[in-house]
Amino acid sequence: MSFFGGSRNGGGLNNERIEAAMHEMEMITDVFNRMVSSCHAKCVNTRYADAELSKGESVCVDRCIGKYFEANKLVGETLNSTAQAAGGGGMGSSPMGM
Amino acid sequence: MSISAPPLPPPTALSRKFGLRAAFEYTGVPLSLFEKRPKLPSRNWLIFLTVSSSLLGYYVYDRRECKLIRQDYIDRVRPLSEEPMGKFELPRKVVVYGAKWPGDEDWDRGTRYFRKYIKPILVAAAVDYKIVAGKRHGDLATRVANDIKDQRRIDAGLDRPWESPMPLPSKLSPEAERHRQLEGGIILIGRPTFKEYMAGFCRGWTESLERVDYEEILSRELQNDGKFDEPDVDEPPSPVGDIDEEPLPTPSRLPPSRRFSPLGVMRDNARIPPQTSLTALNVGTSSAGADIVPPIEIPPQPPLLLVPFVNLVGWRLIPRLIWDFFNERHKVKAGAEAGYKLIKNQTRPFVSPGRTPNENLSFSPNMELPRNSQDDLEFDRVAETYYPPSTSKILARIAEAREEYYRTALEKLKTARVLARREREPTADELKNPPPTEVEIHDERLKKEVRWRGEEMGWNVVKPDVPVHWDPRMDGIFKVFKDPDLPLPKFSSGA
Repeated sequence: MSFFGGSRNGGGLNNERIEAAMHEMEMITDVFNRMVSSCHAKCVNTRYADAELSKGESVCVDRCIGKYFEANKLVGETLNSTAQAAGGGGMGSSPMGM
Repeated sequence: MSISAPPLPPPTALSRKFGLRAAFEYTGVPLSLFEKRPKLPSRNWLIFLTVSSSLLGYYVYDRRECKLIRQDYIDRVRPLSEEPMGKFELPRKVVVYGAKWPGDEDWDRGTRYFRKYIKPILVAAAVDYKIVAGKRHGDLATRVANDIKDQRRIDAGLDRPWESPMPLPSKLSPEAERHRQLEGGIILIGRPTFKEYMAGFCRGWTESLERVDYEEILSRELQNDGKFDEPDVDEPPSPVGDIDEEPLPTPSRLPPSRRFSPLGVMRDNARIPPQTSLTALNVGTSSAGADIVPPIEIPPQPPLLLVPFVNLVGWRLIPRLIWDFFNERHKVKAGAEAGYKLIKNQTRPFVSPGRTPNENLSFSPNMELPRNSQDDLEFDRVAETYYPPSTSKILARIAEAREEYYRTALEKLKTARVLARREREPTADELKNPPPTEVEIHDERLKKEVRWRGEEMGWNVVKPDVPVHWDPRMDGIFKVFKDPDLPLPKFSSGA
């Protein structure tokens, strides 16, 4: 699906879909920002002695991001299954929209 | 006239009214408080106080020592993590294996030991790690064997390595990836892990490369063993057209456990990377890899870190558990030293056994061979004496569970068949809770058999009277991390 061009043939922009896409985009951005801030707070020394990350920081960031995605996936799956169990059909996607 | 002078108070009373005591007395503090003479508490109190304060003091001392030891090793390795790292560089990465400890319901004891005692040192030295744990006996061996076979298939050109849909700049070439693995290392926690790893390693380099679905083979075997056959078959079960929707399973009704694998598709257009002459010769002969002979030589492997580990299970080890609780520092020191060895990366060759080749890898219980005590296959052998006595009955318990299951399953099967053929009406209870159909019973049997056979196979690898698997091809390919030549930190002399 193209965000802006694809639905013109169907008679104008499909506002609902654009809304949904924007909403998803916002969610992804939010998750990304949260992930960056929490992993930065956890791993990176704020003295900023060097332009590059140190080895310890790199490993820490790597594992932190991995854990964040893993946790996010688990939460998404649980939410989905809860929503489906509740009969609403669910959100259909994880909080990240993945 | 006589003046009667008021009687003077006694001098002692006067002196009492002075000073701090007087001040307290006038404020209402009872005098008896000042006259209290210190005295020893009673005998029972003394016993209680002595015992509890000694224990508490010992506990506090132990934990303080733990912190100091750990901090000491962390300080030693910290400079490694402070080195700058380029954007596309990758840190050293080790793989940690932890098998299930026999007789313990908690399958992750080994990896927990790693997390608690070794990991802090690795984190401080910026060494990345991947933990692989086995939930049942034999899981780890299977995993190791499958990983090796996957790699062999890729090397033989039968499969293509996984490629990201998006080309990443940090993606390493296969050679660089292999080099990184060799520079990393493998941590094996305890004797069961070591045994399972070696068994899986032998299997991986010995078995055929053909992709085998063991569940499929097992399901076929189970169909043919006749245990679930009807005692007197009047009519063949398949041509029952009049029984409308009821499942009356034939072997083909079993749910297929095989899933679609893109590997089969990839195999057709697999390209052949430059390989050793042995494998390259065999690539064209079979696309399935069934007739590719196992290599004569096994490539060098990452160095092994053999970590002695004992998990105390059972009533008889409770005194030892209590002793361990108050002597945590020994474990902290052992774990920190192990981590330090890995970080220092000094290796020695694996001392291989001087015994006859054992290519068949049979599991005869009496296969005790004379061993050299310096032999690395003897690693942490003493840990096997800590297995709970109940482990000797594992196979018997499985056999018992199997027998019990078949007894009840045959009853269920009879009901399912009668109901499927509508020979009688289901009772009210059966309508409310429908009994399992024949398909479900077959499926349940397959699942149970997979579990039992897996456990039997795993226990036959791990059990104490079976030696560690060894193959003459493994001579000279392993290395073991050794104690660094540099002086160890100050706590190494003994805590």
